[in-house]
Amino acid sequence: MSDVKQNQSTERMTISGDLVPDAFLPWIDRHVAKLGLSRTIFSVSEEKIELDLSGPEELIDMMEMGCSLGPIEVWVEAIERHVLG
Amino acid sequence: MQSDTAGSWVPVALSSDLPALAVMPARIASETVALWRSASGRATASADRCPHRGMRLSHGFVRGEALSCIYHGWSYAQGGQCLKIPAHPGLTPPETIRVVTYAVAEQDGVVWAAAGAPAGEPPRLNGFAPLRSVTVDAAIGFIEAAAGVGMNADGFLSPADAPSGLCLLLSDQGAGQTLVHVLIGQDAGPSARIAASRAVEALRRRAEALSTEGAGA
Amino acid sequence: MNKIGMIDEWYPVGLFSQLDPNGRDTWLMGEPIRVAIDGEGNPLVTGGNGRVLAVCVRYGHVWASLGKPDHDLFPIPEADQPGRRLVEVGVVRVRCSPLRAVENFLDIAHFPFVHTDILGSEPHTEVQNYKVEIREEEDEVWATQVKFYQPQAAKSASGGITTEYMYRVPAPTCSVLYKTCPPRPSEWDVITLFVQPLFEDVCDVWPWMALYDDDTPMTDLIHFQQTIFLQDRSILENQIPTLLPLDPGMEIPTRADLTSVAYRRWLKRHNYTYGAQLVAQ
Repeated sequence: MSDVKQNQSTERMTISGDLVPDAFLPWIDRHVAKLGLSRTIFSVSEEKIELDLSGPEELIDMMEMGCSLGPIEVWVEAIERHVLG
Repeated sequence: MQSDTAGSWVPVALSSDLPALAVMPARIASETVALWRSASGRATASADRCPHRGMRLSHGFVRGEALSCIYHGWSYAQGGQCLKIPAHPGLTPPETIRVVTYAVAEQDGVVWAAAGAPAGEPPRLNGFAPLRSVTVDAAIGFIEAAAGVGMNADGFLSPADAPSGLCLLLSDQGAGQTLVHVLIGQDAGPSARIAASRAVEALRRRAEALSTEGAGA
Repeated sequence: MNKIGMIDEWYPVGLFSQLDPNGRDTWLMGEPIRVAIDGEGNPLVTGGNGRVLAVCVRYGHVWASLGKPDHDLFPIPEADQPGRRLVEVGVVRVRCSPLRAVENFLDIAHFPFVHTDILGSEPHTEVQNYKVEIREEEDEVWATQVKFYQPQAAKSASGGITTEYMYRVPAPTCSVLYKTCPPRPSEWDVITLFVQPLFEDVCDVWPWMALYDDDTPMTDLIHFQQTIFLQDRSILENQIPTLLPLDPGMEIPTRADLTSVAYRRWLKRHNYTYGAQLVAQ
């Protein structure tokens, strides 16, 4: 299945805002599972969640799109990404 | 009335009404599905909702062995997994992006589908063959009242004063509607087929009248 | 009630040229209203209990508010440029959320599938990255550097071209599209969707345009836009759920959906929730 060339990478995604982790973390896990990505949570707070995601760039883009909204009680102010070495 | 529909076979369409490359909405219990036939002739029932943005897949199109959503062209295999996202042609979609599919079985000219895991095969028609399908604006109870007899556990009903060799196979469509597949004896000639059609039309009118009266009561 | 966040905004309720003294009955966010013209030729819009609503006339349409807007209707400077043809397309009723009507207007990935051989065609389906921002001063959503290859992008185009677009959301149920203009490459054609929310799941859509096109007959310009919109209507009336989700938990937005995601974020921030689904369903 993985013999098709795709842009695979690992990125650190930093989500900041008013994040209500109790609601957002399960939401993030459901979305990650739907996209078939693997994720490692790096840090969690009410203002910031950092997670490492591995997979094709288009799927990490999809994760960013979904997380820009998240559940209704969460407000995401910004999402930053950078590719990890 | 079937109260436990999980795993029960539902007669969703006649084979003759689902040619290759066709897609149509159908109903299994309270869910709408997109019922489609691939180029090679295999029938599939997919949940009627594209995982991208919720467009009804029953409005889509079939190309080869896949069903595509009419909105953005996302394509799904018979097993449900997404094969292509046209806006991002460089991506091989992960198999986790998928649409739920239902068990489908086709025999005796009827396409059956089931939610959950059906136990065994769909009911046989035992010498009957499908003639055509008609949607009646009356719930099953009114059809039974008009026919003077109840439906059996598999959804078959032989009307009391209809020509012999006429049998109906019923499927609840919700909202006071029933899909009725009209079955006749395999060897029925033209005049028997005409008599059967007339009997069904008369039954439909009686059932719909009862339904309207029932609503006004 | 979830119209609270949107009460003090302006909404289109009719064409100025079609006002009549007897009035036309319609609805605005569930409230019955009557749209008429008074003895002096000014529009008169009255609400359910007969109260007079705030009105203004812009872009050929009558706009009303159920509340007290603290701002004028958004500007479209191109409307005043000489040489532009101003086209009132006429109303289309759609059984969908007013917010879904706007979101569909902002989307380009559907062009090859819904507007086949008009606005897009296979295999030219890729959506290249574009830019989106919320302009804080005007408080509007803007998408720029949007590009898409089209076989016949406008009545004034003679063949396939890569059309450049900009999209703008200046009000919760309005969108403005700026599109490459073949006869005048340094100008933009302007196509708008002004959406009147009748109820959370029914809206009247009033498309309007300001174009540089001296040749195409008016009826053809109108027909082209109506054709496009009727194709969109068959999508809009068949999406689940009916209301616009602000939580994409049952969806998979991709980078091509960036404008829609920004629009939903902007709605969420402003509590513009009439026609919105708050919990993913």
